[in-house]
Amino acid sequence: MDQESIPSTKLSRIAALTGAGAKVSVNYLKHYGKRALGGKVDSESLHERNAGAVYKTFSELKGGPLKLAQMLSIDKNLLPPAYAKEFAQAQYSAPPLSYPLVVRTFRREFGKSPTEIFDTFTQNAVHGASIGQVHRATLGGRAFAVKVQYPGVAESLKSDLNFIKPVALQILGLKESQIAPYIAEVEKRLLEETDYTMELERSIDLSRRSGHLPNVRFPIYYPDFSSPRILTLDWIDGVPLDQFADSPTTSQADRDRMGQALWDFYDYQIHTLHVFHADPHPGNFLIKDGQLWVIDFGCTKQIDAAYYRKHFRFLDSEVLSDRALLEECLCDIGIFHESDSAESRKNVLEICAVSIELLGRPFRNGSFDFGDESFIQGIYQLGEDNLHSRDLRTMKGASGDVDGIYTNRAYFGLYSLLARLRCRVETRLPEWLQTAAA
Amino acid sequence: MDSSTTTEAPSVKQRIVHAYIDRLREHGQPPLAVYPLCKSIGISEKDFFQEFPNLDAVESAFWRDQVAHVIAAVESSGEWEGFAAKQRALTFFFAWFEHALEIRSLVILRFGDLGTFEKPVWLRGFRDTFREFAKRTVAHGISTGEIAERGRLTAFYPDAIFTAFRNLVEFNIQDNSRGFERTDAYIEKSVQLAFELIRSQAIDSAFDLARFLAPQVKR
Repeated sequence: MDQESIPSTKLSRIAALTGAGAKVSVNYLKHYGKRALGGKVDSESLHERNAGAVYKTFSELKGGPLKLAQMLSIDKNLLPPAYAKEFAQAQYSAPPLSYPLVVRTFRREFGKSPTEIFDTFTQNAVHGASIGQVHRATLGGRAFAVKVQYPGVAESLKSDLNFIKPVALQILGLKESQIAPYIAEVEKRLLEETDYTMELERSIDLSRRSGHLPNVRFPIYYPDFSSPRILTLDWIDGVPLDQFADSPTTSQADRDRMGQALWDFYDYQIHTLHVFHADPHPGNFLIKDGQLWVIDFGCTKQIDAAYYRKHFRFLDSEVLSDRALLEECLCDIGIFHESDSAESRKNVLEICAVSIELLGRPFRNGSFDFGDESFIQGIYQLGEDNLHSRDLRTMKGASGDVDGIYTNRAYFGLYSLLARLRCRVETRLPEWLQTAAA
Repeated sequence: MDSSTTTEAPSVKQRIVHAYIDRLREHGQPPLAVYPLCKSIGISEKDFFQEFPNLDAVESAFWRDQVAHVIAAVESSGEWEGFAAKQRALTFFFAWFEHALEIRSLVILRFGDLGTFEKPVWLRGFRDTFREFAKRTVAHGISTGEIAERGRLTAFYPDAIFTAFRNLVEFNIQDNSRGFERTDAYIEKSVQLAFELIRSQAIDSAFDLARFLAPQVKR
């Protein structure tokens, strides 16, 4: 019943954000003070303290900032791991809407209150979503998950993101050019996400087209109980993927089977459908009776065939061994800019070669053991290194690649989930690359 | 459109209110004299004065009916009994603004230029009915422990809530978001804040400070 307060006015939103900025600055002062006095502090613990402060602020604001936090948390390449960890909680922590407001939203959308539509309807949210919350309802013995959107999310989105920008730049030590495509994309995507009818259509379409995959299941969606602000689907009584992965009682065989299902799901969507579930957050997957349930299609991304070919050509081992070919491929996806110096180009080429080798490794071995911690650590380390690379930072191109954000996000998310599952999966290159390699 | 003023066989009282409001809506001005109003619905002045002492009372009755209608609707809903005071307040506000859509032009006409603390005659019935509801809600909140009993200060709560409500009405008039969604968010957030203040020590401390600064108020 008791709810945390949500910063309401524009002014209090700024106050909340600068509050975090101040806290972070203090942490930094402590950090550098300690160092100046000869004390030993690792920057990791500094990041951890800051992450807590920043995350708290982001989650109080919901909507845009929360979405951005989630996005940055998935793209661990861009965020120090400590921030990523805190932000990854985002999904579970947004403060709930009052029941009367939920009723109001129902009346606005359907002209009826929830109890007039369903036999039962929980007054409190069972859990939060980035721009809404989920209630459990029943009707005629069937259980439903009903997602209700926060009112005015789209309205406050733009101003939130404008506040978050300077804060994110300063606190996280990112450059304008690094964050700009995220801001633009979050804005666009969030506006799409605020229309649940779109999510309904996509969910139905994608679950129909991926329905044949072994051990992958999708809830049924109910258009009659859905509207632009309300989305109704089957209630799935499963265990969230992260809980499943972290449980000591989960057998290796189960880990491998669920990991395989997850891999197949992404593999099929990205390489065959070219439309994919772009939110590989552990909260979006449930395990029930040895099956993987995909429960949230709020964020899907379509990539066009030409882009797809360019981006995944890097999986071809020939590209990796031939620097001239690699440079050509990197030019194709806009990594290089005419004005980049030859030396900078050379350095970036090597950085990219290392990244590509590492990120493509699971594809090349026929099967891959994500239980190998050195692999995922390598990826995080790579992210840290890339973040601090002068040559990457000063590059003109590279960061404006919005499709890339989503593809990367999907794969970083997928790899993190698989690493968390500590599973071994069967992998293969997409067909067109198999023939190319032969 | 107003169910409260147009029923199957309208009474003289209802016909008077209807004619008055119709004129106000059409012309943006209330009828200035009783006679033409009576003439328009074919009743005598005597009929009129048996129902109302003057024209202001007609409008006051209209607004009272509006708020009474919404209060009756929310209080008769099945879930009402189980609601805490905060949920009751929220439910009422949301229901009011849903109902207010039907008379939005009148709301804008009457509340649009009205200062938050102005008390025009036509608002009297509305305010009294609202305050009675607020009193019940506060009493409920005290019984559930959501609202701290503060002796004589508690008596000011209904007025404070009415002022807050007037503020919501003003916000709603200015709101130009799709389906007035921002009003919903504003209600949610401000009621949340109000209930936090009303429960916390903040009010006690503020009152204590006021007493300290003005000792003559003490008794």
